Amino acid sequence: MDGIVNVLQYAVDGVAQQQQATANNLANVDTPGYTAQAVDFETSLQQALSSPSGGTASVAVTADPTARASDGNNVDTGTQLVDAQKETLQYQTMVDMLNAQFRLISGATGGSFS
Amino acid sequence: MSLFGSLDISGSGIDASQAWLNTTAGNIANMNDVTSTDKSAYGVQTPVFTPIGVAGQVGAGVTVSGIQEGDTTGIVQFDPSSPVADAQGNVRVPDVQLGAQMVEMIQAQTDYQANTASFADAKTAYQSALTIGT
Repeated sequence: MDGIVNVLQYAVDGVAQQQQATANNLANVDTPGYTAQAVDFETSLQQALSSPSGGTASVAVTADPTARASDGNNVDTGTQLVDAQKETLQYQTMVDMLNAQFRLISGATGGSFS
Repeated sequence: MSLFGSLDISGSGIDASQAWLNTTAGNIANMNDVTSTDKSAYGVQTPVFTPIGVAGQVGAGVTVSGIQEGDTTGIVQFDPSSPVADAQGNVRVPDVQLGAQMVEMIQAQTDYQANTASFADAKTAYQSALTIGT
């Protein structure tokens, strides 16, 4: 039980960072020479979870490989707006799962399950 | 990064777009300026956007680090009826391209909308975070 809460907490923080990167890319959509940022926490989280000895998950900030426009900027507004929506839904889903876990704990300790 | 970082970042993007809308409006408003040929013309203004943040970390938004002024040479036109015309009947007018300014205005507007959309998404996510444990 504790493990799931920890994993969810880590994932919520990771998605929040992805959301910040997306917001930052959209804020710099017309900054000449700006390189879009991407945040990856899923790869290392998956590795940490699948490794029998455990491991430490980490967040990596990488440069988006999208091709650059003539002003050297490579922010794709459409992709970023879709990402923003996706990250919001992921965030909400994980918050729902966290709440479900807490309801289970509450029910198991004599409180209400709902 | 502050607690509601994404909101600050989108806010900085909205401010930058607003600055850009302002410069295009100023450029269009001044496109019919007339000056005498011994003075410089109105120079097209363009905001300079600079990303905020530390390398290797998620950035912290954008800032307008200055307003760049374009060429003040302008265009010399023959207009002897103008009160500021020189002995040859010439005046100086700014080199503002209305088409280019309109395109920039639409770009600035689209940027503004994209930033408000991302602001709304971040707000929704943060609101859901406030329900944890309730």
